[in-house]
Amino acid sequence: MAQSNKHEAIERNVFFLIVLTLLAVSVGGLVEIVPLFFQTSTTTAVDDKGNKLDVKPYDPVRLVGRDIYIREGCYNCHSQMIRPFRAETERYGHFSVAGEFIYDHPFQWGSKRTGPDLARVGGRYTSEWHRTHLINPRDVVEESNMPAFPWLNRPADFSDVQDKMRALRQVGVPYSDEEIRTADATIKAYQNEELGGIAPTELDALIAYLQGLGTALRNVR
Amino acid sequence: MLDSINADFTSSFWGLYVAGLVTISLLVCVLILVLNMTSRETGAPQVQAHTWDETLQEYNNPLPKWWLYLFWGTLVFAVVYLAVFPGYGTANDDRGARAEYAKETEKFQQVFDKYAKVDVAALAQQPEAVATGKRLFLTYCIQCHGSNAKGSPGFPDLTDNDWLYGGEADTVKTSILEGRAGVMNAFGAVLSGDEIKDVANYVRSLSGLSADAARVQRGEAVFAANCTVCHGPDGKGAASMGAAFAALGAPNLTDNVWLYGNSEAKIIEGVTRGRNFDNRSLKNAMPAWGEFLGEGKVTLLAAYVHSLSQKK
Ligand code: HEC
Ligand code: HEC
Ligand code: HEC
Repeated sequence: MAQSNKHEAIERNVFFLIVLTLLAVSVGGLVEIVPLFFQTSTTTAVDDKGNKLDVKPYDPVRLVGRDIYIREGCYNCHSQMIRPFRAETERYGHFSVAGEFIYDHPFQWGSKRTGPDLARVGGRYTSEWHRTHLINPRDVVEESNMPAFPWLNRPADFSDVQDKMRALRQVGVPYSDEEIRTADATIKAYQNEELGGIAPTELDALIAYLQGLGTALRNVR
Repeated sequence: MLDSINADFTSSFWGLYVAGLVTISLLVCVLILVLNMTSRETGAPQVQAHTWDETLQEYNNPLPKWWLYLFWGTLVFAVVYLAVFPGYGTANDDRGARAEYAKETEKFQQVFDKYAKVDVAALAQQPEAVATGKRLFLTYCIQCHGSNAKGSPGFPDLTDNDWLYGGEADTVKTSILEGRAGVMNAFGAVLSGDEIKDVANYVRSLSGLSADAARVQRGEAVFAANCTVCHGPDGKGAASMGAAFAALGAPNLTDNVWLYGNSEAKIIEGVTRGRNFDNRSLKNAMPAWGEFLGEGKVTLLAAYVHSLSQKK
């Protein structure tokens, strides 16, 4: 054989081929993804200039609201990721920074905008507006093609919220034992202060979640 | 962006880690190329030694030269790119992107800032300013007030020259700049169910809507005792009592323009629960836009809104 046939050694040994393939495809991830887990700006609540942000783990009501957001597939039409382009920061506010999402498991960045981005919708509209809009978007925005979610006007299920908090703690959300134990009391307090004593519906929980979105970087561009 | 990407890493190891892996993978690519380079032989291509499935054989055909050079080209490109971008290890430079962003932002800020102190009523006469205001309105306000500014239940029509807080150009600007939240007591605890029904019928009669005559008569007294402080002695709204009262935002109840709807049930619900009063009442508000938009844009918006009811 005049020709060198070094590749034959690899091709004839399936195990060796697999190991080399894995090595080759993992280089990109090792260089571009792994170091992100060791950067302050991606693992702690700071903004793009390194200032501390007031980001807290979801309280029990918002946590349940977030699960409703996921269950109803809101992420199919709404992103939660404002890109650093002027056109976007004009409409929504400051672009999203990694530090805002450290307690999101999984994050709701989304990839499709049929509707507007929701990363900073918190505090932008009133809760009454959200209520009307979710029950029938056409009642406030005539041209809207967002589906109506009238069935959300039913009691929210909080029975497993402590388990949810424990599960999130497993992946690094710093809920204290105290916070988990008093989850029911937190929900009761919310019910009394915000809802005049009426048990929260799924709408209430979802709106509580929406009203907390992106508030750590409000009113700045 | 953080000034130094090194400071952002939890340890300086990561710079070396990235640089090391990049260097190694580049070198490995070079190595693979060098070790496998063979020159094409003249004559028929050789058949490889192995035979699969009894008769299956492969030719050993080296890549054409131009193709091989493309591989070398990508390696050279990688090195040049890392050096020029620069992206080697923790070398980091946005190549002026942030400065450019700041400059553009500043440029547009100035365009809007120059309107901040301009007289709203005068601005409402300038077609260009009104057109800009309209575009801003379509971006920020239509969710509540509608793309035609005609509102929807709970969100006022801005075109009808019927104002909660007064329609003077500067009042409109204040509404947008600082937001509004009209407060009405919850009468559920103060009045009986019958009294509320009576007053609701009276309120309907004010706009000439059908109402139970006996209830209207009784309702008039309830209204006089409870409602006139805000809605005015004849129900014509807070603004009818003079500019000092306009900030109460209590609407004119005699003009058949309704914020929440004119059915007896809607009126009873509102009167019973109140508005923005306690945690049981209906909460609705106009958000304050001054901080988010800045005064320049707010002035343009006010000019547009003001112009809407001037046409008629
Ligand atoms: C079929 C796609 C679709 C789905 C699913 C959807 N939306 Fe929307 N959404 C829209 C569109 C389109 C708009 C813009 C028109 C409007 O305001 O109604 C919108 C607007 C909104 C807004 C106003 C945002 C802004 O800044 O103006 C909110 C809040 C919102 N949606 C929440 C939700 C929630 C919560 C869900 C899940 C329960 C949801 N949407 C599901 C399409 C969708
Ligand atoms: C969250 C929904 C919402 C959004 C968004 C909103 N508004 Fe309003 N606006 C209201 C409500 C509700 C009122 C009535 C307040 C009250 O009843 O006290 C109001 C009142 C007003 C008034 C006073 C009307 C009067 O009769 O005195 C003006 C002017 C106004 N809005 C302009 C705007 C402009 C301009 C924008 C966009 C920058 C805007 N609004 C965005 C909900 C909204
Ligand atoms: C503290 C002041 C205040 C008092 C007292 C008051 N109101 Fe009101 N009322 C308001 C305000 C402010 C609004 C507008 C609420 C809003 O913009 O959300 C309003 C709204 C209303 C509306 C809705 C109008 C529409 O267009 O949909 C009705 C009806 C009404 N009031 C009736 C009454 C009656 C009847 C009483 C007496 C029993 C009364 N109000 C007492 C301040 C008051």
